[in-house]
Amino acid sequence: MRHFGRITAAAAFALAAPFAAPASAEDITIGGLFPFSGPNAVYGDVLSSGAKLAVKHINADKMLSGELSIAYEDTQALPQPAVVAMQKLVSVMDVPFTLSSFTGVSKAIAPIGGRNEVVMVNGGGVGPDLAELGEYFWNVIPLANLEVRASVPYAVQEMGKSKFALIYVDDPLGASILAEIESVLEEVGGELVSEMSVAPSAQQFSGLAAKVRSSGADAVYIASYGAQQVQIAKQLRDNGVDAQMISYSAYGVPDAMSLPENEGAIFTAQAVQLDSEDPVTKRFVEDYRTEFGEDPAPYNVNYYNATMLFAILAQALEEEGKEITGANLLAKRKEMGSFDLVGGNVSFLDNGTLLFPIDVKVIEGGAAKTLATVEIK
Amino acid sequence: MLALQLTLTGLQAGALYALTAVGFSLIFGSTRVFHFAHGATFALAAYLFYAVEAAGYGFVPGLLASFAGAIAFGLAIDWFIYRPIQRDEGSFFTVFVASFGIGIVVQNLIGMIFGRSFVTITSPLSRSREILDGVYVAPLAGIAFVVALICLVALGLFLRTTFTGKGLRALSDDPELVRVFGLNPRYLSAAAFAIGSALVVPAAVFTSMSSGLNPAIGHHVMLISLAATIVGGIGSIPGTMIAAFIFGLAENLSLLWFEPQWSEAVVFAILFAAIIARPSGLMGKSAAR
Amino acid sequence: MENYLANLGVLICVYSILAITLNFIMGYAGIFSLAHAVFFGFGAYTGGFIALNYTSSIFVTLPAAMIVAAVLSLLLAIPTLRVRGEYFVAASLGLQILAVTLFSEWKWFTGGIGGLVGIPPVSIFGTEIFRPTSFVIVTLVALVVTIAIFHLLVHSNFGRSLRAIRDSESAAAAFGKNVPVIKTVSLAISAALAGMVGALYASYLAFINVESFMLDTSVLIMAMVIIGGTGTQLGPIVGAIVLLSLPSAITYLNFLPQSEIGAIQQIIYGAGMALLMLFRPGGIVGSGGK
Repeated sequence: MRHFGRITAAAAFALAAPFAAPASAEDITIGGLFPFSGPNAVYGDVLSSGAKLAVKHINADKMLSGELSIAYEDTQALPQPAVVAMQKLVSVMDVPFTLSSFTGVSKAIAPIGGRNEVVMVNGGGVGPDLAELGEYFWNVIPLANLEVRASVPYAVQEMGKSKFALIYVDDPLGASILAEIESVLEEVGGELVSEMSVAPSAQQFSGLAAKVRSSGADAVYIASYGAQQVQIAKQLRDNGVDAQMISYSAYGVPDAMSLPENEGAIFTAQAVQLDSEDPVTKRFVEDYRTEFGEDPAPYNVNYYNATMLFAILAQALEEEGKEITGANLLAKRKEMGSFDLVGGNVSFLDNGTLLFPIDVKVIEGGAAKTLATVEIK
Repeated sequence: MLALQLTLTGLQAGALYALTAVGFSLIFGSTRVFHFAHGATFALAAYLFYAVEAAGYGFVPGLLASFAGAIAFGLAIDWFIYRPIQRDEGSFFTVFVASFGIGIVVQNLIGMIFGRSFVTITSPLSRSREILDGVYVAPLAGIAFVVALICLVALGLFLRTTFTGKGLRALSDDPELVRVFGLNPRYLSAAAFAIGSALVVPAAVFTSMSSGLNPAIGHHVMLISLAATIVGGIGSIPGTMIAAFIFGLAENLSLLWFEPQWSEAVVFAILFAAIIARPSGLMGKSAAR
Repeated sequence: MENYLANLGVLICVYSILAITLNFIMGYAGIFSLAHAVFFGFGAYTGGFIALNYTSSIFVTLPAAMIVAAVLSLLLAIPTLRVRGEYFVAASLGLQILAVTLFSEWKWFTGGIGGLVGIPPVSIFGTEIFRPTSFVIVTLVALVVTIAIFHLLVHSNFGRSLRAIRDSESAAAAFGKNVPVIKTVSLAISAALAGMVGALYASYLAFINVESFMLDTSVLIMAMVIIGGTGTQLGPIVGAIVLLSLPSAITYLNFLPQSEIGAIQQIIYGAGMALLMLFRPGGIVGSGGK
């Protein structure tokens, strides 16, 4: 029965490991659910770097009685691995709070967090269904439909575009962008001449580009993510589509910005004044540049903010002698209402989302330059 | 005009599919090995070309590296994995599972080394020019098409005229007889893997310059190659070639009537229908039962 | 801690059932299907849909899921079982890919790419069961029932006919066995139970989407069967345990670079498959060689 040996060894390993690491009683661990493998692994490092910097600042400032650390778990941006990872964070590591990313992942972990009263904060996914995952699920990022309200009017009013084509992945995110574009175009004047949905796994878009061309669109909105959005952009240009390219915050990643074909494309992201004098923002920007050698992108801001938010709430709880649990964190957030984070003083709506002004940016020379800042009601 | 454009695009796609599909068909037909790792060969070839070219060594060294890598990989997997398994009376599916496992390993190694984001070689050749009203063709696509045809014709001549070529065709008809006639099946199967793997290189190079690469690129290529081999008829290279073109055209022309997200489904619906209606394929020699 | 282990336990039971059902058609009937995740998926969506819209009683969702999956398997079986093994693999591959597009587009039933959110937990005689520690008992019962069903089948006349077909189809036909009917029935039983566990899965996760039912899943299940050992009762379960524990075990190895852990897991999984096929094709449980 030698095969049983292998299984018991693995089981013993799995059981013993949590007891192996020494821990100080006051040290706090929060969770970090990001994809570190799989097709969306490019976002793993991007999303977590802001959080890492926040941990550094929090510990340097001694905001909490003990050391803060983040337990990172790989979700592969898929629901099932995310559930396993979340169970580990909740049942084994007893975290009161975790960072989350990607809409599918968030929807899968929300029931677990809700039932166990663990706060989950999203700083990356922008699907509108993220606002409906219960009171333990918070969003520090404006959701995609708000972004459309900034970029499309800009394209119509400042850039004179009138015929829009939309390429989107037919999930709640894409569907909400479609609905939002239709309603915005009605208001500001413009026409949606072509809308095409693509499978998330599609990689060939020359036929699609031909259809965009024949529709006569002068602006193309790309609502995709990861490697696919970059492939769409390149193949559109390669196949003779000269239209203005527009996208949303998913474009704020290195491979999208450095693609030569994306020169001149505009995208939206939540507004972060990099040269602001506000102390929180200034410190974040300077240290981020020092540590990582480049300007921070909106995603980095969000996870910095989410981590900082935890520290602010936990600090307040410690001062009152209260235990740092999910339920207490939620109550404290409702009590405090607004917070000094990167980007200024921001407040939470009742449904757990933050309202942020939106920047319309253009890609020039591989970097994003802000053209306008829009306040969304 | 849209129809004409989509037809041209379909032919371009079909040409590249034909190269990889014929490689797979050659291997499968001659050795009966379900070489699922063929997609990994494609990814490896593409990334080797990218790595060498992007490091500044230029097109030709990149191409050579790509050939060397693809052929070496094909031969190695045959020598170290497939042969030992087949020696031990491994079933058809044991080989498939091993092949799939290797494919996963390669895909992840590529991801670890090159990162998982999208990479491409930027070249002015990939920009299309308008040749007719509303019809755009990129020089790269035209070159790809011509190169693919040359390769396929060369392969056809090779199989028909050379000793090894005839041996390969014999192997696909009847492995036992091959031994009886004194040909060395091991040498022939090595030849099949070497040639089949080398055929992916032009397609890989063109893909890295046009639609770009990410580590998962081998998957789609593999699936289409398999589908084309089956629809074209196992053991028939011309059949596979025609089927590959049919798939390329179907993928693109379907855009005239369906939404883009159905393109992949169209291809597999054709596969499914073909298996039901005509299992031996367009020009297959092996019967289904 | 108990919840974490119970959660793993639920997943192990779910995948064991999937592996056992696939093993039945692969190891005993010689049908190699790459579409097993399709039946799992249809069962899950059926169970989820009914729970969301009508009732979450286990006595409705599970049978409904089983019937849907079984009927679907008939659609696959009837046209394709008369063709040879390799072609069936390709046909099942085609079905799997088609199903992914179908799951992504059929919004009314599957919620599209967004999936079904907030599926109510399964209820047995009015009690809702959702905690991992309670749910694992439900899945264990399902597993035991599944093992029992297949044990009976394998040792019955039906099972003997199946083995005859696996070993030589033409001989079996010569002996008067109605080969296509037997294969169809075995595929239907296998699909029905895969659908059943799909419904359980949907109620446990409370959220399902197409990403859980793609080709990767079908291949994972097949790998569990092959690595564990085809044609044995214990093999699929061992395969399920090994392949599911592998990722968790690796995450405890702290010296590996965080961002590469996922890739390393997959490399171990892939290399493991290849090496096992080289040295022990009968799988962990099976005999050394076939």
